[in-house]
Amino acid sequence: MSSSTTLAEALANCQAEAALEMVRSQLAAGTPASQIVAECNRGMSLLGERFAKGECFIPELMFGGMIMKQVLAELGPHLAQEQQGPSVGKAVIGTVQHDVHDIGKDILIMMLRGVGFEVVDLGVDVPPEKFVEAVRQHQPQVVGMSILLTTCFKSVASTVEALRAAGLRDQVKIMLGGAAASEMLRENTGCDFYGKTAVDGMKYACQLVGATA
Amino acid sequence: MSTSSQPPSTDMEQRYQERLRRYVTAMRKGKPDKVPIRPFVAEFTAMYAGYTVQEVTQDYEKAFEAARRCAADFDWDAVVPNMVYGWAGLVQAIGLRYYATPGVELPPDTGFQYLEPPEDQAWMRADEYDLLSEDPTGYLMNVWLPRVAADVVPLGQPSTFRNNMSFLKGGMNMLAYFMAFGTQNQLLRQKSGTVPALSGILKAPLDILADKLRGYKGLCTDLFLRPQKVLAACEALAPHLWEVARSGADPQRNLPVGLWLHRGCVPFLSRQQFEKFYWPTLKWITEELWRDGIQTLYYGEGDWDGNLDYFAQLPEQSIVFHIDRSTPELCREKLGEKFCLSGGLPNDLLAFGSPEEVKAYCKKLIDLLGRDGGYIMDASAIMQNEPKLENVRAMTECTRQYGVYDQPEFVEVPPPPRAASAGTAKEDRPGCRIRRPGAVIPWEEKRKEFPEKLTGDEQLIRRVWEQCDAMAYTYIWQVLLSF
Repeated sequence: MSSSTTLAEALANCQAEAALEMVRSQLAAGTPASQIVAECNRGMSLLGERFAKGECFIPELMFGGMIMKQVLAELGPHLAQEQQGPSVGKAVIGTVQHDVHDIGKDILIMMLRGVGFEVVDLGVDVPPEKFVEAVRQHQPQVVGMSILLTTCFKSVASTVEALRAAGLRDQVKIMLGGAAASEMLRENTGCDFYGKTAVDGMKYACQLVGATA
Repeated sequence: MSTSSQPPSTDMEQRYQERLRRYVTAMRKGKPDKVPIRPFVAEFTAMYAGYTVQEVTQDYEKAFEAARRCAADFDWDAVVPNMVYGWAGLVQAIGLRYYATPGVELPPDTGFQYLEPPEDQAWMRADEYDLLSEDPTGYLMNVWLPRVAADVVPLGQPSTFRNNMSFLKGGMNMLAYFMAFGTQNQLLRQKSGTVPALSGILKAPLDILADKLRGYKGLCTDLFLRPQKVLAACEALAPHLWEVARSGADPQRNLPVGLWLHRGCVPFLSRQQFEKFYWPTLKWITEELWRDGIQTLYYGEGDWDGNLDYFAQLPEQSIVFHIDRSTPELCREKLGEKFCLSGGLPNDLLAFGSPEEVKAYCKKLIDLLGRDGGYIMDASAIMQNEPKLENVRAMTECTRQYGVYDQPEFVEVPPPPRAASAGTAKEDRPGCRIRRPGAVIPWEEKRKEFPEKLTGDEQLIRRVWEQCDAMAYTYIWQVLLSF
């Protein structure tokens, strides 16, 4: 590995040991933890770009996520003492009710955080009212629903309906992704956007808030 | 193609034979009289028969009945005897922890789902690869089962009443369940002349590692941190997965073994990762099965466009490739010359489209994939409760009317090319040194407990011992594969 590799590049290329070493040496040199996190996020964003170009796939994203988790664990105590920078936008993301799959959702969240979004992760099997509550509380620009199972088509429709009934539908854009999602499902459930991949979802969210993907 | 279709025979045995010939001919790349219809209908059958998903998941007799109702009412050539395969009874009998069950954690009208624990609580820990690879059957029984089954006590800890009962309840109920499949197949044949779509089960070694052992996320990390261990585990699992598939296969060799492809395709694995980790052992198993005359149905869940070139390496007719989200045109181009294709009718179209749209799509699929035979009509993904009934009817009617061939060229399945090989043939493979495929307590070990000189026929004693032993082997591997 060339000595000119940056921390962001090490993350983008899934070089776990190199990335962690650099984090430690930057901390020792007095770099603020928030600055290190920002660079790591850039690395995750680069990793997302590699994924979008087909240069790497989900195992790399997962492994990158694991490295990021370790980095954050190292930085944890330092981060708590620092002020966080502003986010480019807010997103509320969850897997729809009765569906417990999380991989697609987690990838999207990783990518959104990578480009500077503040993400509220509602987890899996999220009932419509929980989406409503989160939108009311956090006022995101975008809601993302992940769906893996065709049995859960109804959950997408009922979430959109619940947001509408709560008078929140016009305040947010709703995007849809996951193996069971499609343009036809989007159209039939009244969502705003269907993303075939997490990268599509991330780009759509960026476009909504005028951020760079 | 012609559009005049003969109605099915009224004599059920004759109808069964007609359908079997049609189904088998298509799978062997021949041209039957009609495009066979073999829908993978799961929760749809419950909806149709007026049951909740909970009812068919808990009570397999209801699941069987629901499948029979569909088979009787729709002109389908083949169905899976029970596509809602996971049976909650067994899950409860041994306390399996990796399920979310309708009526328990899930609403009564939602299909069961697998739960993947957090990475640090994976059913198999990252440092246990050597244990697994050395003796897969022993590992499953001693380490894995106590973790996934609430009632099973880990090896070396004091046994409990619940532990002992779990093996009685698990073993006897699994047998009862599998035996019920035999009855169901007979009833399908007698009542509606319907052919069972599959016989036996197979999963790719890497999928088993991801789905039931390490978890997909944990496995992703392993691909980077301990790739050689992952490879060794795939090698060690392969002969056992082959054995399970072979022992459940159709003795007549008419029906394929069902292979549920899961996380091997892009983007779950890169092509390089697929080539290195996923493909070599899956290819080996498929070829070994084919050597015994056993076809494998590759149910390609998701989009396998990036992997079709690999499948094309397999011997002609050795597989049937089922299209979920793969591109039908590309499947035809890459695989259509050598293998039968099935599926490709989008599930969202069945859920949201009109019968006319469904019919138009069916015609398109038949023209594209079934012009000269070698195509089976089905939806893309397994049909749960999303399709509209009128759309399933439209798929059936259109295929029957439009999918008729003028000059059929039926194919007879040749007898198995050689006597089906027993697990002993794989003794020299990795993962077989301590316990060969099909064995839990090998005869050699048991033999030591008998007097050196036996008064009667030792081979008879051995054969019966090994038959009994194989049942225990089936138990642990079927818990892993089917439940």
